[in-house]
Amino acid sequence: MSAPRAAVVMLAAGEGRRSGYQTNKVLLPLAGRRVFTWAVRWARELASVERTVIVIREADRDDVVAAVGREVGPPEVTIVTGGDSRHASEWEALQALAPDIEAGRVDVVVIHDAARPLAGTALFASVVDAAWEHGGALPVREQAHLTALDSGSEPPDRVVAVQTPQAFRAAPLLEAYRRAHRDGFVGTDTASCMERYTDLPVHCVEGDARNVKITFPEDLFLAERLLAKAGYDLSGTHGPDPAAAPASRRSALRHLWPGGDHP
Amino acid sequence: MSVEQASLRCESCEELTVHELHYAGRLLDAVRCTRCGRHLELSQRALLPAYVVDLEQRVVSKPGRMLRRAGADPLGFLRQLPRAVLRQPVKFLGEFRELLRR
Ligand SMILES: [Zn+2]
Repeated sequence: MSAPRAAVVMLAAGEGRRSGYQTNKVLLPLAGRRVFTWAVRWARELASVERTVIVIREADRDDVVAAVGREVGPPEVTIVTGGDSRHASEWEALQALAPDIEAGRVDVVVIHDAARPLAGTALFASVVDAAWEHGGALPVREQAHLTALDSGSEPPDRVVAVQTPQAFRAAPLLEAYRRAHRDGFVGTDTASCMERYTDLPVHCVEGDARNVKITFPEDLFLAERLLAKAGYDLSGTHGPDPAAAPASRRSALRHLWPGGDHP
Repeated sequence: MSVEQASLRCESCEELTVHELHYAGRLLDAVRCTRCGRHLELSQRALLPAYVVDLEQRVVSKPGRMLRRAGADPLGFLRQLPRAVLRQPVKFLGEFRELLRR
């Protein structure tokens, strides 16, 4: 199978409503750039990524355009206004990509939450490849640590976390969203829509522990630290060093603070 | 020094609240929840290891059974996630910090 051509959709509209003076968290400064442009940069390091669509709130348009102008180089980025839900925002992005998908110029669509600035090039590469091969791909992390601290009766075995970027073959994805639109179906996420309208298998790829989602204020401090630790460069295509992946609490700490468990 | 306001999740309020963020140059210097006053500042970076431990924990769903479900039925599994994710055991954060501070 030849190398797929990919489009990346950055969901930057955020959830909920904010009053006018508040900054959308994906537009917050993070180590000298805006949160959302970091992942745009890592995604576009991949030669297969030929199109970029950023889904925004209309109220953020000027700020997004300015940040893209400052922080994102060519090729051009398509900016579309999102809908009321994640599903609606994805639908807007897919409509912007529809001509290229139908013309066979986009084989795989990657959906990424712009609040995850540390999704590196290797992670984008791995979901694009897996989606092209299997139909869909999600980064998942298995966690072996700390479950014993849970007060419940569950045995301390494995737990999982699902991340973005998530990738899907473009044509069936577009078709699924068209049918959803006709039916008035609103999925909670991309996968729920794909599940309803296609039989494509979705493949789990290994997520990246560094791929934090900016949710709590602590996440901003952490993202700064992780970026610094990575030398502000997540463009490597080989993924994180497996030895550095935090399979346990101790190794997680060593990964971030090479001198030991305590900073 | 620049200041931004943004909605982030407050660990104390346990919901999205407006936070005031103070930047010193390129880096974040301090964050304050405007509802409860919870304050994080540069020195808090020292506590990040504890937070890292918590980081994945709080986006984690039920152990064991759900992973097995994910293997058998990743999409059905995913559909269930949002509710599970809401059950973030934020309270552990403080405990981990205490644990690692010693
Ligand atoms: Zn608060």
